[in-house]
Amino acid sequence: MDPFSSDGELVHIHTAFTQSQYPTVLSDFDPSSFSANNKLPVQVLQYRAQCALGQYDDVISSISDSDAKSTPDLAAVRVYASFLQSSARGSDGSDALAEAERIAAGNKDNLSVQLLVGTILARSGSPENALELLIRHQGSLDAVALIIQIHLSQNRMDLAVKEAKSARSFAQDALLVNLAESWIGMRKGGEEYQKAFYVFEELAQSPSSSSAATLVSQAVSELHMGRVEEAETALNSALAMEPENSAALANKLVLDTILGRDTEDAKMKLEAADAQNEMLDDFKAKREAFQAAMGKYSPKFEP
Amino acid sequence: MNTSTMLTKFESKSSRAKGIAFHPKRPWILVSLHSSTIQLWDYRMGTLIDRFEEHDGPVRGIDFHKTQPLFVSGGDDYKIKVWSYQTRRCLFTLNGHLDYVRTVFFHHELPWIISSSDDQTIRIWNWQNRSLICTMTGHNHYTMCAQFHPKEDLVVSASLDQSVRVWDISGLRKKHSAPTSMTFEDQIARQAQNQADMFGNTDAVVKFVLEGHDRGVNWVSFHPTLPLIVSAGDDRLVKLWRMSETKAWEVDTCRGHFQNASAALFHPHQDLILSVGEDKTIRVWDLNKRSSVQSFKRENDRFWVIAAHPEINLFAAGHDNGVMVFKLERERPASALHQNQLFYITKEKHVRSYDFTKNVESPSMLSLKKLGPAGVPPRSMSYNPAERSILVTSPGDNGIYELINLPRDASGAVEPSNTMRGQGNAAVFVARNRFAVFNSSTSQIDIKDLSNSTTKTIKPPHGTSDMVFGGTGCLLLIAPTMVYLYDIQQKKQLAELAVTGVKYVVWSTDGLHAALLSKHNVTVVDKSLKQVSTLHETIRIKSACWDDAGVLLYSTLNHIKYTLMNGDNGIVRTLEQTVYLVRVKGRSVYCLDRAAKPKVLTIDPTEYRFKLALVKRHYDEMLNIIKNSSLVGQSIISYLQKKGYPEIALQFVQDPQTRFELAVECGNLDVAVEMAKQLDRPQLWQRLTNEALAHGNHQVVEMTYQKLRSFDKLSFLYLATGDQEKLQRMAKIADHRGDMISRYQNSLYLGDVQNRIEMFKELDQYPLAYLTAKANGLDDQCQEILEACGMAEDQVKLPNAGAPSAPPKAIAPTFKANWPTRATGASSFEKAMLAEGDETAAPDANGYGEDDLLAEEPERNGHLEEAEDDDAAAGWDMGDDVAAETEEDFVNVESTEAGPGSSEADLWTRNSPLAADHAAGGSFDTAMNLLSRQIGAVNFQPLEERFMEIYQATRTFLPGNSGMPPLVNYVRRTLTETDSRKVLPLIPRDLESVQSGELTAGKNAMKANKLEDGVVAFKKVLHLLMVNAVSSQAQAQEAQAAIKLAAQYVLAMSIELERRKSTGKETDISSFSDDIKKRSLELSAYFTVPAMEPQHQTLALFSAMNFANKNKQLGSALGFANALIERGTNAKFKETARKIKAVCERSPNDALDIEFDTFGEFDICGASYTPIYAGETSFACPFDGIKYQTRYKGTVCRVCEVCAIGAPSSGLRLTI
Repeated sequence: MDPFSSDGELVHIHTAFTQSQYPTVLSDFDPSSFSANNKLPVQVLQYRAQCALGQYDDVISSISDSDAKSTPDLAAVRVYASFLQSSARGSDGSDALAEAERIAAGNKDNLSVQLLVGTILARSGSPENALELLIRHQGSLDAVALIIQIHLSQNRMDLAVKEAKSARSFAQDALLVNLAESWIGMRKGGEEYQKAFYVFEELAQSPSSSSAATLVSQAVSELHMGRVEEAETALNSALAMEPENSAALANKLVLDTILGRDTEDAKMKLEAADAQNEMLDDFKAKREAFQAAMGKYSPKFEP
Repeated sequence: MNTSTMLTKFESKSSRAKGIAFHPKRPWILVSLHSSTIQLWDYRMGTLIDRFEEHDGPVRGIDFHKTQPLFVSGGDDYKIKVWSYQTRRCLFTLNGHLDYVRTVFFHHELPWIISSSDDQTIRIWNWQNRSLICTMTGHNHYTMCAQFHPKEDLVVSASLDQSVRVWDISGLRKKHSAPTSMTFEDQIARQAQNQADMFGNTDAVVKFVLEGHDRGVNWVSFHPTLPLIVSAGDDRLVKLWRMSETKAWEVDTCRGHFQNASAALFHPHQDLILSVGEDKTIRVWDLNKRSSVQSFKRENDRFWVIAAHPEINLFAAGHDNGVMVFKLERERPASALHQNQLFYITKEKHVRSYDFTKNVESPSMLSLKKLGPAGVPPRSMSYNPAERSILVTSPGDNGIYELINLPRDASGAVEPSNTMRGQGNAAVFVARNRFAVFNSSTSQIDIKDLSNSTTKTIKPPHGTSDMVFGGTGCLLLIAPTMVYLYDIQQKKQLAELAVTGVKYVVWSTDGLHAALLSKHNVTVVDKSLKQVSTLHETIRIKSACWDDAGVLLYSTLNHIKYTLMNGDNGIVRTLEQTVYLVRVKGRSVYCLDRAAKPKVLTIDPTEYRFKLALVKRHYDEMLNIIKNSSLVGQSIISYLQKKGYPEIALQFVQDPQTRFELAVECGNLDVAVEMAKQLDRPQLWQRLTNEALAHGNHQVVEMTYQKLRSFDKLSFLYLATGDQEKLQRMAKIADHRGDMISRYQNSLYLGDVQNRIEMFKELDQYPLAYLTAKANGLDDQCQEILEACGMAEDQVKLPNAGAPSAPPKAIAPTFKANWPTRATGASSFEKAMLAEGDETAAPDANGYGEDDLLAEEPERNGHLEEAEDDDAAAGWDMGDDVAAETEEDFVNVESTEAGPGSSEADLWTRNSPLAADHAAGGSFDTAMNLLSRQIGAVNFQPLEERFMEIYQATRTFLPGNSGMPPLVNYVRRTLTETDSRKVLPLIPRDLESVQSGELTAGKNAMKANKLEDGVVAFKKVLHLLMVNAVSSQAQAQEAQAAIKLAAQYVLAMSIELERRKSTGKETDISSFSDDIKKRSLELSAYFTVPAMEPQHQTLALFSAMNFANKNKQLGSALGFANALIERGTNAKFKETARKIKAVCERSPNDALDIEFDTFGEFDICGASYTPIYAGETSFACPFDGIKYQTRYKGTVCRVCEVCAIGAPSSGLRLTI
């Protein structure tokens, strides 16, 4: 039986993970209470949760070389952690990338490897390779969700839709399918905004599933629907929960911009919380692009 | 005396059982054992539910509470324990007895327990407050048994002192019942009682002492309703006692036990006494005649205890090795079925009939009271429709039968007349005028005519124990391990079948099949006794009947189940109580219950009908069932799959994965392909490949290889199918991929020597190239190679290469078509479905069938469409450039998919001619380009923030998968639009917000005379509106108006600021030089020119008027005053203006001549702040319309700071 299915042992921890309730993943589940088969998946989920919380060193140090050698899952986790760590420090993580590719080469059918190395590949600019690896999954919704995200980040909505459709056909109403469809919906727009909002709102507003990430998702969907005040409320509660949450800060910046407020403060906060934030990088790049474009014109000021 | 077999329902193996108690409602018994264990059994299922082990030593007494989940036990550890079987633990222990506790019983209504003990006392305990409330002394030896009377306040006890005592405990009840009305007398009486209590003899007083046993008495019980007592003693006697209000006496003695009698009790409903003894027998006595009715002997085990179920006909006896639960009589009502009529015998031994068509029960037709002894119901009934007579057998009196004519009309329970009877254990009609009687004592079958005279005698096979109808002219003879089919006419055995323990036989309506029922097995046989199927049930099988369609329904203790001829079985419904099925009709099952009442139960026959239709291949019926019921579910799919009907299961499944599996299983490649396409996973393609290969369907194989990008396999496939053209294409693809090995392989397949040589050369493998050329006799090539290597031919030593081998040429064009296979597809089921579809002409009849019919065209070609299109275009073999293109097409699977698409931001720039939308799309250079064309923008520095702001406002960050950067989404202003050609970005700071924000702020600054702030605000307005979007043309005009207005304000304010720059806020400028004075006065005048709103112009005029007035420019002042009076909006200002006007009119002359014509039409140059008169050449800013002197052409507008003055422009677009 699929241990992730609704009556499986892993369903709760996996759901918590999916809902980005990382502290819950770490605190509420004890790997030793799971059956032998499920210990490893639980361990992997917990390591990933640690990574999501930025505890890269802990993850790297708790996986020994021998562990990594014997279990590709753990090797993948370790390389994943070190990749994230180096990218958080602003380096390109090419060592980790090389290592990840090596692991992937030998363990193409290992789901953890697919997911983690897939993430690394997608992040380091080779989404095709990531997809090639991920496509080998056997009915894993995590993989499907990742594939969908990669497709979306490449603006291949058609492929994302197709993937989501086939996932829905075998996983019906699973949380990840709903989420992934909502992601797609956020791209489609129109009525899909509202649908996505319902999904996010349900997650964000129920105390058992609420997390900064789900609140941010809700806020984003509200922003897209033009409900700026509501979005601000949601973002503020997300920030109350996690003042350093970079996604919340980034969206707060967007919101302030839309409202025509002064955004310097928001920008500073975001910079302080996440110096490597893609958004800031992008803005910087855009400013340079602006200057470059401007340079083509030579205004005369004096007659 | 009859020592017939006992109807044992349950037996357990254990150590000696000393106490037994039935649960009043559930099928449970408690058994207390000599080994200190208490067992709780489910006697219906035969399972041990629980064990309770807390006593130390043998447990002799046990009893269930009637209503609460409690039981009590008493043991040789002197302890009485009260338990909860729900929590499965001992609740508390009652201590007090000083020796073994023999029996314990609950009171039927009070919270009391009575116990008897070897300490010679009987004690009554209140289990609610866990106290001893009465100790009854009097016996002078062990008290072996003490029980409450079921209704009255009496206790009966038995003791080894050979006496039975009856005690009156009404005093105890009074004392312990709640006080009601407390009259004075009551109180006195109560006190007196208490007084007497001190001596301990008024609560329970001995009423009678019954003496008659010669030895110790082991057991005593009350009759449930009559004033009777039965006792059993070591004198081997069972004695019956009767009592009245005042006395009690011995009625009779039942003699028969030849060892100590252990226990005795009354039958709860019938006039019978049951007793057990150490002589290993259970004996049943007639209460009225005190004669032995039945006895049952066990081989080795002495009986110690007996208990009766309070409600139903069940008893339990404990012996040396366990417990047996049994019943005294059969409860199965004798019945016979004929067409729509059921004849049956009720508990009162009345014959009745039941009409299935009308569902009514007839009144009693006959009374069979005289048939067999009382309490022994008839066993079987056989009906003769020709004579309207019945043949009834009864086990009483060693087996009798009676032939009775039924009255025409049911007119009450009349005694039958003209009956004929005889000895026999079984009797059945075998023909219209013949019946057979089996006699087990003589082991012979007599065939008799209707006058009861024997016409024929048959010696049945040895061991025959029963006889039933066996089809026309035949009998089925039943022996313990065999069943024989016997022909009466030929007097010979036709067939035999080894079946153990057959008890009943049920024939199907058409007489072709029979079900042989034994305790745990159903064996279906045909009419020549060939076994068709058999099944085993762990639960006892009670009865069976045949559905008209040939499905056997049978009942177990708790279910009605069905079985098909092929042995498939399943549950139809659960039963609350045991019933005996007699007939099934549609959704109704008719049955008799244990009280011989006809009942109708509703069932859902869909499941077994469906399965039957499947077995019989009645596809139309299946289809009908599928359409009309909610049968289709996971279970039926797995059933179909398991039973080898994947093609039918396929029709039910929606889930692509399952459909794929089923399609592969039943070889339906078309569906498999369809599903694989839908799922698109490598593993599935792989499986499909294997399957298609096995089918010889190389076209599907080709497609799957393409999907899997197995180039080598693909090449080999083309080689195998002889598809040269495609092989060549593979070669090109290999070339394109730069895969040398693959290229080499393909050229080998193609026999393309030239290509191989080229390849070797490319790889600098000249020796191999040379060898290849040489071997194929291409001498000129050899020469070339040698030259290239700088070697001569004699330097090369070659092994003998032999003749070059060319690949064999394909003889048959296999690639053109698949291997011919027998038409798969349309199974008969699908045909049925199709037929159905035709009838209703429904296009959606179903896709699968249609596929099969139309298979030729779309399916065959479907997978190859692209490839063959290419063939038609014949593009790829026309040369290299084209080949590269087609190659893209050929491996289209990935190539079209790969690579990112265009983001929404790109769409925006595509969808809109608005600079703002391009800025939102991040395409800053095109945005600038647009602005440049529209409004001649050249200096973008002031717009940087605006651009960034727009860019920044249109991207949100949606958290996605853990570890991945958030998903960027694009905020739209077209909220309901999903057409990608129409989506547009949100532009922050719309017109309304600018109007209410900066524009207002600017005006306020004007009012507050904070002109620097005002200029900033209005410039902001200009920049915000320059890069913006509005929704309508009207709004666009409004925006343009706002732009113009803001520009005018900027200009006005700039002029005034310029003036203040030179003279400050001084109103009196007489101290300055004339130039400055003049300029200052001019600027002050120009300040009134820009088209500000009237109230602000008023301010300007007022200020200019005052300024002019103060500086003796009375002419100008007069002009301003006139203008103020004419256009002013402020009454106070107007008042001042009139005064000044009055003053000025006296001498309207300026002290200094300034360049200002109050009446002239002119604009002010935005740069030099000089007048530009009408008709004078000037250039304007294409954006804000501020005019400039010609010399400023081409420079940046001073007001908007962005556009080039006088630049060619098409006009700002703000709306799509």
